Amino acid sequence: MAVAAVHAGGIADHIHPEPEGFIRKYVFSIDHKIIGIQYLVTTFMFLVLGGMLAELIRVQLMNANGGFMTPDTYNEVYSIHGSTMVWLVIIPMLTGAFGNFVFPLQIGARDVAFPWLNMLSFWLFPPAGLMLYGSFLMGAPAAGWTEYPPMSLQGQAGTSMWCAAIFLVGVSSTLTGINFLVTLLKMRAPGMTYTRMPLFCWAQFVTAPLLMIATTALGAALAALFVERQFGVPFFDPTKGGSPLLWQHMFWFYSHPAVYIMILPVFGIVSEVFPTFARKPIFGYKMIAFSSCSIAILGFMVWAHHMFTSGMAPFLQLPFMVLTMLIAIPTGIKIFSWVATLWGGKIHFSTAMLFAVGFIATFTLGGITGVFLAAVPFDLHAHGTYFIVAHLHYVLVGGSLMGVFSGLYFWFPKMTGRLMSEKLGKWTFWLFFIGFNGTFLPMHNMGLLGMPRRVAEYDPQFQTLNRIASSFSFLMTFAILLIIINALYSIKNGKKCGHNPWNARTLEWQIPSPPHYYNFKHIPSVFANPYDFNEPLPYRGLEDELTDAPPPVPAAAH
Amino acid sequence: MAVENRDPAVRLDRGFWLVTLLLAVLAAIGIVYWALLAPITSWLPEAVDKAQQIDSLSRFLMASGTALFIFVAGYLLYFSIAFRRRASDGPDAIGVQIHDNNKLELWWTIVPAVFVVVMAIFSIQIWAGIQLGDNNGMVVEALGHQWFYSFRYPDVHGEITNEMHLPLGTPVTLHVTSYDVIHSFWVPDMRIKADMVPGIINTLRFTPTKVGRYQIVCTEFCGTLHGEMNKQYLVIDTPQKYKAWYQGWQQKNAHASDAIPTQSTGAISLSGGNVNAGKMLFTQKCSACHALAPFSQKVVGPGLKGVLSDPAHPNLVDGAKATPENVAKILQKGYKGDMGQMPNQTANGLTDKDIADLVAFLKSTK
Repeated sequence: MAVAAVHAGGIADHIHPEPEGFIRKYVFSIDHKIIGIQYLVTTFMFLVLGGMLAELIRVQLMNANGGFMTPDTYNEVYSIHGSTMVWLVIIPMLTGAFGNFVFPLQIGARDVAFPWLNMLSFWLFPPAGLMLYGSFLMGAPAAGWTEYPPMSLQGQAGTSMWCAAIFLVGVSSTLTGINFLVTLLKMRAPGMTYTRMPLFCWAQFVTAPLLMIATTALGAALAALFVERQFGVPFFDPTKGGSPLLWQHMFWFYSHPAVYIMILPVFGIVSEVFPTFARKPIFGYKMIAFSSCSIAILGFMVWAHHMFTSGMAPFLQLPFMVLTMLIAIPTGIKIFSWVATLWGGKIHFSTAMLFAVGFIATFTLGGITGVFLAAVPFDLHAHGTYFIVAHLHYVLVGGSLMGVFSGLYFWFPKMTGRLMSEKLGKWTFWLFFIGFNGTFLPMHNMGLLGMPRRVAEYDPQFQTLNRIASSFSFLMTFAILLIIINALYSIKNGKKCGHNPWNARTLEWQIPSPPHYYNFKHIPSVFANPYDFNEPLPYRGLEDELTDAPPPVPAAAH
Repeated sequence: MAVENRDPAVRLDRGFWLVTLLLAVLAAIGIVYWALLAPITSWLPEAVDKAQQIDSLSRFLMASGTALFIFVAGYLLYFSIAFRRRASDGPDAIGVQIHDNNKLELWWTIVPAVFVVVMAIFSIQIWAGIQLGDNNGMVVEALGHQWFYSFRYPDVHGEITNEMHLPLGTPVTLHVTSYDVIHSFWVPDMRIKADMVPGIINTLRFTPTKVGRYQIVCTEFCGTLHGEMNKQYLVIDTPQKYKAWYQGWQQKNAHASDAIPTQSTGAISLSGGNVNAGKMLFTQKCSACHALAPFSQKVVGPGLKGVLSDPAHPNLVDGAKATPENVAKILQKGYKGDMGQMPNQTANGLTDKDIADLVAFLKSTK
C-alpha cells in the first residue's frame, strides 16, 4: 500500500464520475474503450456489407460475358466495395477500434487526451457510412474508389454524396490522429519512456501524424471535386482548363500514406502477438520502431508511383521509383525481425498467433509484388491490371485484415472477459487462409496475361482462372462469417478467462477484463520494456487492480 | 550481445543449417527457373523490342522475389514447427530471451539495401531504353473514345477505327490522347501502356519485332462499356503487306472524302436506326455542346437526355414539337436563331443513316 500511496493523489489519479444511464454509457460515450467497441461493431457491419458487394463482383466474373448484373450496376458495386473497405472498414478498424481500445490501456492512461473529440470522431463515422450506401438510391458513384475525373465528373448524383461521405470520414480520421498523437505524447504513465512503449503504441504513434497530414490533402481533393460537380468550378475538367492529373496527385498524396495507415497498426498488432505467444522478447525492438518511422516518412514521398502511366515527365519517375524501392528495406527489417522472434521460442499456436504467422506469409508476398510494381518498366506492363488487384488484396486482406483478425482473437478476452472459441478459430484460420490465397493468387496470372481491372466482362481466355478465384472466394467469405458468429456467440457463451488468459505482459493485461471505466485504480509506474519474459513485470502501483479495493474518490465528489 | 552468443541456448543447431541448405537449393531452383527456363514468350509473345527489355527485368524481379519468398516462408514454417510449445514444456515455458543481435540486424539491412541498389540500377537502365529517345520514328496517333479507339496516320485524312497496322522493323512514335475521359492504350504483347488523358499527349516509342495480330486493351476505367474496350487489334505486318494496306486505306479514304455527306433535301427515313451506333456518334459529334443529362444541364446547348419524352420541355428550340421527325429535321438543317446556333448535317459530317442512329439513341435515353 505504501507504493500505491505514493501514486495516489497526483494529478494523474484524478477520476471523473462514471457516466450513468444507457445513452451516456453506451451510445454517446466518452470512454475510449466503449468508443473502440463501437468502432469495432460498426466496422464489422461494414465489412459484411463490403464483403457482400465483393461476392457480387465474384459472381459477376464467373462468366466471361458477365450477365449477372448490368455493367453500370457492376461499376457501382465495385466502387462502393472499394470505398467501403478502405474508409469504412480497414482504417477505422485499425485506428478507431483497436487503437482506441488498446493503446490508452497500454500506456497506462485513463482515457485519450480529448474524450469528447473522440466521441465526435466516432459519431461522424456512421452517418458517413449511411451517406455512402444512401448514394445507391440516387445513383451510386461508379468510377472506382479512386474516382478519377473526368469520369467522376460524368458520374451520377451519388458521386457528390460520395465526396461528402468520404470527407466526413476524413474529418473523423484527422481528429482521431490529433487525439492519439497528443495522448501518446502527454499521457504516458510515469516511466513509460518511448523505448518502453509497447510496439502497438509505436505503431499508433507513427500512424497518427499520417492521419493528420495526409487526410487534409484528401479533404481538399474531395472538396474540389464536389465544388466542380455541383457548381461547375473547373478544377479537373480539361475542356474548361482544369487538369485531370491534379486530382490524381492530390488523391494519391493522401492514398499512398493511407496504405501505411492501413498497415502500420497491423505491424503493431503482430509485434504484440508474436512475443506473447512465442514467449520471447520481440527481436530488434528499436529497429522495428525505427523502421515504422522511416516507412511513414518515405510514405509521403512516393505517391506518384501510382501514376507512372498517367503522363508525367519521364525523369520525374526516377525519384519515385527509387524512393519506393527504399521502403523495401525497413519493411524487410520488420519481416526478418518477426521471423527471428519465432526462433528459439516456445510458440503457442492460438488462433491469434495463427493469423499473425499467416499474415507474415501473405504480407511478404504482397510486399514483394509491391517492389516489382515500383520498377517503372514492370509497372508499364502491370499497371491497371488484375496484377494490381492481386497485389493490393495481398496487402489489404492478407495483410491488414488478417492482422485485424489476429487482434480480434487476441484482445476479445480483454474486451469481454471471455475467450472466443479456439477450436472454431483454428478451423476458421485455415478456411480463410486457403480461401484467400485461392482467390487472389490466380489474379497475378490474369493480370500479367492481359486482363484489365474494373471490367464487367472480359476475354474468355481468363474464364478458368476467374472461376477458380470466385470459388475460393466463397470459402473466404464463409470463414469471415464464422469469425463474426464466433465473436457474437462468445460474448455471452465464451469461456470465462480471467484478466490475462494469454499470460501477456503489457499493461492492459494487468487489470480486470473488461476494464473499469477508469482503467486503472492508480496510475502505474513503468520500469522497463514489457517483453522480458524471465523478469518480473516491470510495473509498480498495480497491487489494487485485481482486488476489491475501491478506486480513488471521483473528483466531483470532492 | 557477446555474453549471449556464448550461451549454448542461442547457438544455431544442425537442423537450422540443414533447412538453410534446403531453402538455398529451392531458391536456386526458383532463380534458375525464372532467369532461364520460364517460357514467357509462349505465354505472351514479345511483339516489340521493348517487350524483350521489360521481360528481362521481369525475369530478374521474379527470380529475386521467388528466392526471398522461399527464405521468409521457409524459415517461418520451420521455426513454427521446430519451436512450437510441446506438451512436455508446460504452460509457463519461455523461449530464449534474446533481444537483438546487432551483427545480424546489420546484415539484414545491408543485404537488402545492396539488392535495392542493384535492382534500381537495372530498372533505370531498362527505363532509359524505354522512356528516353527521340521522336524520330514513324508518327502514329491513337485516340480513346467511350468505348473504342481510333487511329490517325500521317498523310491520311480521317481516322480508322477497326485495326491499327504497323510495319515490322520500323521505329514507331505513338502519341496517345483521349476525346472524353481517361482511357489507356495497352497491348499486353508489347508490355507497355500509356494512359490516354484528355488534354495531354503521352508517347510510346517502340519498334515492332514480330508479325502478328495483338489485342489492344483499355486499363483505365472509362465508363459503362470499359470491359468491351478490348475488341480492337494492333496488326504488325511485313513492310510489303503494310504498304499495301496503307495505300488501300489511303485510296479508300480519298473516296470517302469525296462522298462527304451533303445535306439531303427530303425527309430522312428514321427506320433502322441503331442505338449503339448513335451513342458513339453522340460522343463524337454532339457531346462537345450537349451533355447526356437532363435539359437544365446546359453546356453550350441544353442537356439532351430524354429529349423526346421530357414532359417539362415538350418543344424543341425551333418551337416544333419534340418528335423524332422534328429532331431529325434540326440535325439535318441545323439551327440559327435567338437561342444560339448549331451546325447542319454537312458541317457535322453526318450521313442520313447517322441521323437515324442518333435519333434512335436519343429516343433510348429516358
